[in-house]
Amino acid sequence: MPSSIERILGTALAAPFYFGQILIQKTKPGGFVLSHRDDHSREDLQRFRNPDDAIEIAKYGDTGSYRPLKTAPNLRHGWRLELADLEELRRALDYFYPARLAVFATWKGGKLKTTPLREALDRQSGMYRVAAKISDSQIDDLVANFCRSNGGCLRTILWKRDRDGAIASTKLPKEKFDPAWDQAEASARPGSTIPATVPLLCQEACNLLIAECRKVVKGK
Amino acid sequence: MNPNDHSALLIVAHGSTMNPDSSAPTLAHAAEIRRRKIFAEVGCAFWKEEPSLRDAIFLFDPELIREVYVVPNFISEGYFTQTVVPRELDLNGRITKRPNGQIWKYCEPVGSDPRMTDLLLQRAREIAPGVAEAETSLLIVAHGTDLNENSAVAAKREAEKIRSVGKYAEVLNVYMEEPPLVLDWRKLTTTRNVVVVPFFISDGLHSYEDIPRLLGIKERRLPSRRRQPNGRLGSRPSSKEIFRRNPYKIDNRLLFYAPSIGTDPGFADIIIEQALAAKS
Repeated sequence: MPSSIERILGTALAAPFYFGQILIQKTKPGGFVLSHRDDHSREDLQRFRNPDDAIEIAKYGDTGSYRPLKTAPNLRHGWRLELADLEELRRALDYFYPARLAVFATWKGGKLKTTPLREALDRQSGMYRVAAKISDSQIDDLVANFCRSNGGCLRTILWKRDRDGAIASTKLPKEKFDPAWDQAEASARPGSTIPATVPLLCQEACNLLIAECRKVVKGK
Repeated sequence: MNPNDHSALLIVAHGSTMNPDSSAPTLAHAAEIRRRKIFAEVGCAFWKEEPSLRDAIFLFDPELIREVYVVPNFISEGYFTQTVVPRELDLNGRITKRPNGQIWKYCEPVGSDPRMTDLLLQRAREIAPGVAEAETSLLIVAHGTDLNENSAVAAKREAEKIRSVGKYAEVLNVYMEEPPLVLDWRKLTTTRNVVVVPFFISDGLHSYEDIPRLLGIKERRLPSRRRQPNGRLGSRPSSKEIFRRNPYKIDNRLLFYAPSIGTDPGFADIIIEQALAAKS
């Protein structure tokens, strides 16, 4: 019995599709080839054939910098990953964009629980407890900068600032909160209306954003 | 267990936003366990990397997976295993039933497994092949002064267990930031041969640079690894070089320096055993 993720992938694969900065194309029966979406016409790509190779491909950007946030728009170029079947595809995509397929499948099933930023902050302990002291206006600025698709993060924000449903940041375009939009394309060409096949959904603030909230409070 | 059991394994670890090698052992252990097809699914989650512990709540399809075994890849019980992991995973004890019917079982951390002692002994032998243990001192290095972690206690426990085996001339637990200090290894040991094993889950700045500097086998902190020369994958200079230059000759002594114990492939067996112990 295929998982809900495999069913979604099977549907999405009716045509080549983008997943974040990755282009996924069908090859021989049952096989797939992945590359950076900017590299679709390049022929000098370094070839890989193991889904576990995605770990190293995703680890560093073009400049060699470590990528602690895998959904940042800095996936390295120059590679081509050839995979044998749907199971390998799923595994590779889980290394490129960890848990994003599972979160999307849960969302499609109508069962995704989102967590307001204030709730995530109030839950923290230890060195991150102080992060809850961040003001609403500071959140407005921080999220606008840290989570922006152009240079920050390609996820579509589904969480609210607080339980009252305040928007995460008034300074981000409305498309940033719309799963129907392709954030990678939108960041490259503002105003573009190319739809996302499988969006990178963000159901809750990541640890990096929590850490940034702490820095703002501490004045670092 | 077998894949038809509808059970999944979730390995949780700290991870790092700075150290690219922090999650590598956990991912490698997961890949090995996945290869053995013991669980229907094997996933990882991290406090400081992706997928996050919060993401992990959604990792396993409730239609296919009925039980999830959560094994902390931590060297000891402490703040993370007792506070952070349960809170972030919405666990309310050893066994948690989700609204979707999934049962999540929270297992003991790998560092608590009694076979850790054998792994330390095995690593010590591998790093100094042919060296007589009776003429060798073995140092187990932990951080020390961890506010809420018990890794120093765990290192001391392991040193005591290895000492009781009686193979090595001396077995010491030493720390980076509290006595007995790793810096004092020359004074603390009397044998010509000294084997040093870092008691950490992964390699990183501590094992690549800090401990080597304290041992006197590395002069200074190298430029940050965060920026590497552009190049093809696999062409990066390796920080692991420090483990390949054994033995180091210092003051007429021979020092053998091992990678962190958490990089040992034997951890995969311990992770499986921790899950099986929670099942029974």
